[in-house]
Formats: sequence, structure tokens, C-alpha cells
Amino acid sequence: MGTDSIYGPYEEYLPLIMEELTGRISAFNEERRETTGHPVYEHFLYRIKEDKSMREKCVRKGFPVTTRSALRELFDAVGLRIITRFLDDVFRMVEFIRTIPGCTVVMEKDYITNPKPNGYRSYHMILDLEVPYEDVDGNVPGHYFAEVQLRTLSMDSWASLEHEMKYKQDIQSTKLIVNELKRLADEMASCDISMQTIRDLIRS
Amino acid sequence: MRILVAEDEAELSRALKAVLDHQGYETDVVGDGLSAVEKAAENSYDCMVFDIMMPVMDGLTAVREIRSTGNLTPVIMLTAKTEVDDRVGGLDAGADDYMTKPFAMKELLARIRSMTRRSTAFNPSRLTMGTLTLDIDEQELSAVHSIRLSGKEFQLMEYFMRNPGRAMKTEDLFTRIWKDDPEADTEIVWLYISYLRKKLSAVMAEVTIEGERGGSFTLR
Repeated sequence: MGTDSIYGPYEEYLPLIMEELTGRISAFNEERRETTGHPVYEHFLYRIKEDKSMREKCVRKGFPVTTRSALRELFDAVGLRIITRFLDDVFRMVEFIRTIPGCTVVMEKDYITNPKPNGYRSYHMILDLEVPYEDVDGNVPGHYFAEVQLRTLSMDSWASLEHEMKYKQDIQSTKLIVNELKRLADEMASCDISMQTIRDLIRS
Repeated sequence: MRILVAEDEAELSRALKAVLDHQGYETDVVGDGLSAVEKAAENSYDCMVFDIMMPVMDGLTAVREIRSTGNLTPVIMLTAKTEVDDRVGGLDAGADDYMTKPFAMKELLARIRSMTRRSTAFNPSRLTMGTLTLDIDEQELSAVHSIRLSGKEFQLMEYFMRNPGRAMKTEDLFTRIWKDDPEADTEIVWLYISYLRKKLSAVMAEVTIEGERGGSFTLR
């Protein structure tokens, strides 16, 4: 492909696909804000994975660096992150995403109910989106993947701290930091539950 | 197990050391109350046996001094006096038990066993109930997953785990956990029960706290 994008001729469709999906999610958020006075999310971030990082990821995962790998073997060419204030909002949004037309949940991991051993908490979904554009297999309508990560503000700030430490190999007493991060994750999860409990009591 | 003996009668203190050593205890013997206080500050003992009548500093004062440093090691007082007031005085000073001289060595050994058993059995570093564990030092609640509890949540959970299956009234829980908080209202009990229920479910515990707002609650 030379200097061409790893996404090949499908590159132009990705922003359109992402816009369609994020548009529905923002619209749902607005609707909730109007009807209940509370938005579902606090932050909503999305991106098309950069050419360079997609190529690196193919290599890291042992796939050939091809358009097919980028769009079929890996699922996060389109990536969304939804950050909420409360635990229930994560699940409210998950339920909404399931109802989006043309969207099928092909994989999902609930690391909130079942946290990773290091303390990581987040809800991950891989979506198969049916779109009116050709896909890498030549189908019209085509199918594209998108990855969605949903979590609360406290889970998100924990994840960014953990991410920072993972890429700093020179860090002193790593074992201590790892243990402290796990403790912090459990404390923050505890606070998330307390916040949700208070909110439920106020509203009941 | 390490034991501190404070006894000024040479013959008795020699006998005590011989018997205790023989039982496998590591025994330190001193002859007055002041040395006992110093020893107690220096080392960590599992049990202490003090005579009341001793030179320099008597046994009662020694116990009071030791308790004032926050040391909760079980103390057995030995007393020649048989007056009720003396026994009361010893217990009030912070002793856990007393024996009147002359006593049977066998009984003293049994009381030491009882005291040391109590301190380990009643102060475990973790409480368990089925798959649920409450780590006392870490304030960590765990079953399939783990979570950290805040101060009052932890105290409440600890109380439930020490009284499994027992119904406890909102008022009693409030008095026990929030007695030092002048701002608190009994309504706080329900809030904390709600926290704990959600946290028990978050760690996937097989037990829960049953009961209705304002009523009695049972962990089962």
C-alpha cells in the first residue's frame, strides 16, 4: 500500500460510520437530559485509530499489516469512550446501545461486575454496524466494527493512572505501586457504589 | 508465647518461672512494679502476671501505667488480700483476672491459657462467613471480588460478622457504631445498611443483610 492508509479505500467511510453511531448516542443523551434533567454521560470521546497506531497494533497482535487485519481482525478502528458520573448510567447506556438499529453486539466484557485482578473496571462492547457502504469483503450494505468503553469518572481516572504507570518501566518499587493501585481501585469502586446508593435514596 | 511475671517473693517467683518455662512459655521475671512497666514497654507479651504488693511500685499502679500506654495485654493479679475492694480495685485498674494467694499452680496455668486463647480467638486479623471475608487490618471486604470499606461501614460490617444470624435493632446498631457522633441520626443506619448491601452484592457474597428500614437487621 506504500504511503496509503492502512484502511485503504474504506478510510473515507470510517468518519461517516462513526458520526452515525455517535450521533445516536448524543441524541439519546440529550433526550434524557430534557426528560429527566440529568444527562447520561459526563464525557463522550471518540476517534478513528490513527494509521500509525493501527499498523503498530497489527504487528503487536501478530497480524499482517493489511486493510483486512485493520477492519476484520481488530475491532477498534472506530473507538468510543463514554464516561458517566454514576454506575447506573453505564448500564443505562449499554442498554440503549443494544437498541440502536443496524447495531449488533458481538462481544462484551463487563469488567465492572467482574473487575480484572489489577483492579481495572470498565464495560467493553464490540459492535458490528451495518452501513450503506461497501466493506472489505465487498458487501453492500457493509459491516464495520466499533469498540465502546464505558465507565464512571472514578474508573476513568484510575485507568489513566494505571496506563501511565504501565508505560513507565523505570518506576521505583513497582510491586508497591501495583498493590496501591489495586487498593485504590477497590476504594474508588466502593465510593461509586456509595454515590449510587445516595442518589437512589434521594430519588426514591 | 511470652509471659511477664512481677513478683517480689523470691521463692514464689522462682517457682513461677520454673513452671512456666516447663510449660513452654518464654518467661521474664521482675521483682517490682516499675521494672514490670519498663519490661512491658520493651517487649510484647501475651500475658502478664502481677503481684499486688510489691516494692518501688505496686501491681495496681503498674497495671494502670501499662494500660495508659494503650497496651491491652491480658493481666492476671496475684493478691494475698481477700477483701472484695482489693479485687475490685485490681479489675478496675485494668487487670483481667485475679487469683488469691495461696493458689494452685494448675489453676494459674489454666487461667493463662484461657486469657491467651481469648486474645487470639477474639481478635483475629480476618473474619469469615462462608465465602465472605472481612480483613480487619485492610478494611477489605471480599468474596469473588474485593472492595474497601470506609470507617463506619467497616465497623458495622465487623459487628454483623461477629453476630451472624442475629437480629439487631436499628437503635442498637446506631448506639454501637455512632455513639460518639453527636451529629448522627438513626436514619444513618439505613443508609449504611444500603451501602453494605450493594457492596456485598458487588463482591458477589452469598450472604446479605436482611431487614426493613428502621427495623432489625440480620446477616445471613
